[in-house]
Order: sequence, then structure tokens, then C-alpha cells
Amino acid sequence: MRSFSEFDPIAVTIWFFSVIGIAMFSGHPLVMSISLAGAILFFIVRNGLRHGRSHLFFLILFIVLALANPIISHNGATVLFVLNNAPVTLEALLYGINSAAMIVGVLYWFRSFTQIMTSEKVLRIAGAISPKLSLILSMSLRAVPMFAHRAKQVSDAQKAMGLYNDDNIIDDLRGRMRVFSIIATWALENGIITADSMTARGYGTGRRTQLRRFRFSSSDAAFTLVTLALLGVSAAAVASGALDFNFYPHIEADVKGAAGISGAAAYGALVLLPVIIETEVSIRWKYLQSRI
Amino acid sequence: MEILAVKDLTFSYPRCGAPAVQDISFTLEKGEFAVLCGATGSGKSTLLRMLKRELTPLGEQSGHIFFRGNDISSLDERTSAARIGFVMQQPEQQIVTDKVWHELAFGLENLGVPRDEIARRSAEMASYFGIGEWYDKDVSELSGGQKQLLNLAAVLIMQPDILILDEPTAQLDPIAASDFITALRRLNRDMSLTMIMAEHRLEEVVPICDRLMIMENGRLTENGSPGQVISRLRGRPLLRGMPAAARLHTELESSGDCPLTVRDGRSYIEENYRCDTHSLPEESYTVPDSPALTFKDVFFRYDRYSRDVLKGLTLNVGKGEIFCILGGNGSGKTTALSSAAGLLKPYKGTIKVFGRKLKDYRNRSLYRECLALLPQDVQTTFLHNTVREELSECGADISSLPYDISHLLDKHPYDLSGGEQQLTALAKVLASKPKLLLLDEPTKGLDANTKSYMAEIIRRLKADGVTTVIVTHDVEFAAECADRCAMFFGGQIVSAGTPVDFFSRSSFYTTAVSRMTRGFFDGAVTVSQAAELCRINGKKEGSR
Repeated sequence: MRSFSEFDPIAVTIWFFSVIGIAMFSGHPLVMSISLAGAILFFIVRNGLRHGRSHLFFLILFIVLALANPIISHNGATVLFVLNNAPVTLEALLYGINSAAMIVGVLYWFRSFTQIMTSEKVLRIAGAISPKLSLILSMSLRAVPMFAHRAKQVSDAQKAMGLYNDDNIIDDLRGRMRVFSIIATWALENGIITADSMTARGYGTGRRTQLRRFRFSSSDAAFTLVTLALLGVSAAAVASGALDFNFYPHIEADVKGAAGISGAAAYGALVLLPVIIETEVSIRWKYLQSRI
Repeated sequence: MEILAVKDLTFSYPRCGAPAVQDISFTLEKGEFAVLCGATGSGKSTLLRMLKRELTPLGEQSGHIFFRGNDISSLDERTSAARIGFVMQQPEQQIVTDKVWHELAFGLENLGVPRDEIARRSAEMASYFGIGEWYDKDVSELSGGQKQLLNLAAVLIMQPDILILDEPTAQLDPIAASDFITALRRLNRDMSLTMIMAEHRLEEVVPICDRLMIMENGRLTENGSPGQVISRLRGRPLLRGMPAAARLHTELESSGDCPLTVRDGRSYIEENYRCDTHSLPEESYTVPDSPALTFKDVFFRYDRYSRDVLKGLTLNVGKGEIFCILGGNGSGKTTALSSAAGLLKPYKGTIKVFGRKLKDYRNRSLYRECLALLPQDVQTTFLHNTVREELSECGADISSLPYDISHLLDKHPYDLSGGEQQLTALAKVLASKPKLLLLDEPTKGLDANTKSYMAEIIRRLKADGVTTVIVTHDVEFAAECADRCAMFFGGQIVSAGTPVDFFSRSSFYTTAVSRMTRGFFDGAVTVSQAAELCRINGKKEGSR
């Protein structure tokens, strides 16, 4: 019994890229609504009602993006009103809303993706490509915060000795440059010790293995198969033109035939897949908990 | 069984006249625990690095090193990497990866050990060292002591036959160091792991080691059981680093077995000396009237929602005092020092330096001829490529220093030894002619001789009218150089007093001598005080 975020990183990544890929390549209003609604739902299922600020930011971004198009573009048959001698059309407004839904939806998906993909999972994926790449990533993940911390220590030390001038921009910049250059020296110095520690522990003596903390289990395989099947159906619908649409001069966004209906339905199912898993897990957990 | 044999080993670095290591021969048996000591620059690190082939420095080498009867140059790469373990001094820099579990697995991954085997051995190691709790953490979240334990575990997971340790506790506070040494002792006893370790902190190590080896100027001058070796050290500067009981024994020029632990030292005194005079005449001490540094009801926290680190801290340091603040890790000592230096802003309370509030010092006038802070990691004070540039940048005049560093001027600050770095950084700090000097752990990683030199320098500065506030873990150092000591706990000072008063009142957080003489003599805190009391009282009849 695992929640969605505990699935193997590879399965999770395939799912995210399927959802985001269809959202970006289709652009059909129905698909966009599914994507945006699904993304918000997914975010709320995972985080509850916290992160109010993120929601507010996305809302403002949505409004700005939606209103930008009708102001710039004057295509379309239905004129709503005239602004500064330029017609503002219903079609342009709806087109704006549609692209805003796409962008904000994709941003929501990426937000959730970065939440789920901790550094460990990124390493897991890098390790599937090459163990060396994974090691380099792991070392750099450690180095960046270490250098930032060191820079703060150095500039504090200089300040308390009365050596760090920050009266004007030039002095401040000069001070920062000196700190930066000594940090580079320090990094090299550190690098020697780290390299010693690596060779002392047999780095470079032959083929490396990699300890995996994730196991691609049968449920990961099943999940990935379902993901790929649903992706196939929706992608086929997009590719065959069953989900084509037009905003200008008139809106034509019908879902055409069985291919279109099944494509939209498959995308809906794909988006809801993790929410279904989470709900199932939480119901099962409540039941198990009641027996403790 | 012989694990390691060194025969006539000589080594010199390129373009250096004298060999760094000369004519060294010794053997280590299975399960032996050897401690290697010697002053900085005596060749300890070079010798240890030569025992691990991967770390052997470039240079000219003669003689042989045998590991289980085979010359180490003929070992295959994987055996050499796995069977000879090496732990270095710097806890932070030795760590390669970003996660604890990954660091543990790193060595085995390099050897191409199958995944299941890595998982099993990691689990085993994590349980043995109690790492389970922080197995999933980022290494950056660990304390220094935890990092060093992780380094040890990451080497042991490769199942070495011999463990080489190069001053592994030098960067740790005493409590973490003592945990680390306990772990070593356990390994030695439970696994009969052979170990050779270079170390400055001998109080705890010497009583548990089987063999004490002493290096001087690249030569192995002593090699034998700790008791024997120490009794031959009388009058030599290396004696200063030995356990207090042993120092007392040699200071009193006694014959017979040399006591090494507090327990043995105590029975040695009780059996051999009378106790007619309980204490030395007390020197009265009054706190100077005019204040140098005052904290009044100071509260500080790092983040609005975190806990208070300083909790109503009230403190008064008089002009011209040497004031030592002692206390455990995370008690807020360093935070207090940084607040005094104006680097952190308390949300409540006032801090005054020489009677003026900190915020009344405008335009950094606080740092001109007034206050200076020497941080714990003195490397952070260096910005240039030579010591000369460092000093000229801040206008330091080396002739006005109470010590001599003129021989270091052309070296890179990073190439200096720990003690030399400390002195160079201090020279930089003293350039602004501070009247109030704040030192954060000035004795970290220093050998006993450098420590007492440091104490002497601080006393010379006092004679020039400088007030010094020292944050330290080092009780022996505080006992030697402080006018007053204070215990920091839970964000405030819980007790303060003169060293004699302070250390004879506490029973755990105190010097070895004080623990040794408690109840027999009163107020003996340092070895010289205890030795003087013994001399005054005289020997019992029939004693050794």
C-alpha cells in the first residue's frame, strides 16, 4: 500500500510527462479544462488548503494571461466593445483564457512534480542512465549549499574584523569579489581532501554498482502500463485531428467522433489516476486504522 | 598475527632537504591499538599516509611496508582500498555524497558489490553505530560528531583489517570526541580491529591504548606500553599532552607504575601523600569595576517561530579580565559571542560594550580599536595567497605582536598547521587594536604545547590591557588561563566564578585533576596546583 508519491520515480516521471505532454501539444479547450482542474485538484489532495499564496499567484497569473490576448490580438468575428479604436473580440478573450489555462495548468503540474521529486528520486533516475552521472549530481547537490554557507561565514568573519566595507556599491562589490575568490580556493582545497577520501575508498577501481532505495515493483509496472495505454489513446486522438479546434474567426471546438470522445475520456482518466490511488489508499488506511 | 610491518622506512618530499620520515620500523599485531603522538610537523601524517597506498604522497621513498606479509605496492587495487581503512581529520570534507545512506554505500558501490549485499551491510553498520535515526537525512543536517561517526562507519563497512586514523577528533568538541573514542574502543574490543591513530587529545586515548608511539623530527623515538613511554618523557615538552594523572606522577618524580586514569591517579595520591594541608592559600579576586561587556536580559532566536537561543542572558565582564564561557553544544555560547560582535541582533535586551550600547557604535566604529571577533573556523578570516598579503591588507604590524610569526610570511595561509593558522588569524584580528577580544574555541585542534602557548599569549594581551572573552569546551585550558569561568546552559549563564571556585564546585564538567583530588584536597584544579599541594604535605611514610 503506497501513496502515489512513493511509487518508483521512473513511473512517476513517465506519468507526469504524459499528462504535461498532452496538455502542451493538444491545446483543445476541453483538454485544457481537464488539465487545469486536475492539476489544482491534485495539488489540493496532496497539500490540503495550505500554500494559499501559490494559489493566489496562479490566479493573478491566470487573469493577466487571459486578458493579455484580447488586448493584443483583434481577430475574431464577435466584437464585444471597442477600446482605443481597436475592437475587443469574444474569440480573442476565449483564446486568452484557453492559453492561460494551459500555462497555469502546466505550472501547477510542475509545482507538484518538484514537490514529489526529491533529490534522491532525481538521483534514482540519473542512476538509471549512468551511475557516474548520479554520483556527480549527488556531489553537486551537496556542494552548492556548502559553498553558500561558507560564503556567509567568511563575510561575517571579515565584518567582525572591521575589514569588510559596504559603504558604497563599489566597495561592497569588491568585498564580495574577494570573498568569492577565496571560496574558489577553498573549494579546490576541499576538493583535494574529498578526492583523497574517494580514492581511499576504492573509487575508480572498476565498475561501480549503485545501491537502490527504490524497487520497480509489479504495481509500478502496472501503473506505468495503464499510464502508457491512456497516453496512447489520447495521443492518437490528438494526432488524428479528432481534437482539433479553431478560435478564429468563429469558435469550432467540437469533440469529433468516437476517437475524440475516447481521447478526452482517456486523458481525464490519466489525470485522475493518482487521485484515485490516493483516495483508495486513504480509505484502506482508515479501515486498517480502525482495527488497531 | 602480524597485520602490518614497517621496515626502515624513509621518505622525503620533493625539493625538501630533510626527510619527513626517517628510518622507521615497527610492527602491529592483530587487535592492537596503537597511538601515535608528536608535535605538529613531526611527520605523523606523512607516516600514516604512507601506510595507505592510495594516499601516499609524491616523493622519494625507501624501505618497505608489509600488509599481512605482502608488500603494499603489490596488493591489488580493491584489496588495498577495502582492507586498509583510513579516516582523516576533517569531518566535513571527507564526505562525498549528499545523503547519509548514500555515503555509507559509497565504498561498496565503488567495489562493485552487489546491491543486496550493500543493503545488508549498510543496515548492519547503521544499527551498530545507531545511525538508523538519521539514515535518511542530508549530511548537511548532521553535527560534526555525527559526520565523523559517519566517516568511520563508511570506512568500516568495507570490512578493513586495519584502521588508520589521522587526528580524527581534532575538529570535534570534547563530548563528541569522547563518543568517537568510545566507538573506537568498542570496535577494538568487540571486533579485535587493529588500529593506529595519530592524536593530540591523549587524556582519554592513552589509558585504553596498547601501545604509545612518539615521533620527533621524523623519527620514531619511543615505542612501547603507555606507562613505560610516559615515564621516559620526564622533562620533555611532549609530556604536556599526556593524561593529568601521568603528568602529576612525573612532576612529583615518583617511581613505580605510572597512573593513567583519574581512578589510578586518585589512589596514587591517597596512598602516597598525607593531607594535613587541604588547600593552597586562596588568592582573592575582585571583578574590575568598569565593565567591558555587559548583557542585560538578552533574548535571541534565529527565526520568528523557532525557540529562544539566548533566554534572558545577563552577563558582566570587567575591563581587563580573561573570561571563559564553557558549556555544551547548542547551548548558545557562540550565538552570545556573535551577538556581542553585532553580527546577530537580539530581539530584546541590551548589550553594552565599554558602557555604550551596540547600536550607538555607528559606521562600524565598533570594529575600530574597540572589539574584534576571532571565529571558530579561522580559515574564514583568510582572503589572500600569502600570510604577508593577509597582514598588510589589515595593516598588521608583526613587530608589535606578543608572538613571532615572521617565519610564516611567505606561506599560503591554507598550508599552515592548525596552530599557525590560529596565530596568523589572531594577528589579523589584533591589527585593529581591539580592547575587547572575543575568541571562539581558540584551542580547537591544537596540540598541548600550542595550547599553553596560546594561554600565554592571552595573558600577555591582558598585560597590555586587553579584555578577552573566550568561548570554549576545553576545561583544562579554561582552568589554566581564565580569571573567571562561567557555565552556559539553556541560553543563559547558570554559574560563574574564579577557576578554583568554579571547577571545584562542579563534579562532571571539570578538570581531571579536580576529579582526582576531590574530597582529598580542596580547590586543586590544575596539575601544578595539585603537585604543589602534594609537596607541601609530603609523602606518607613507607610510600614509594
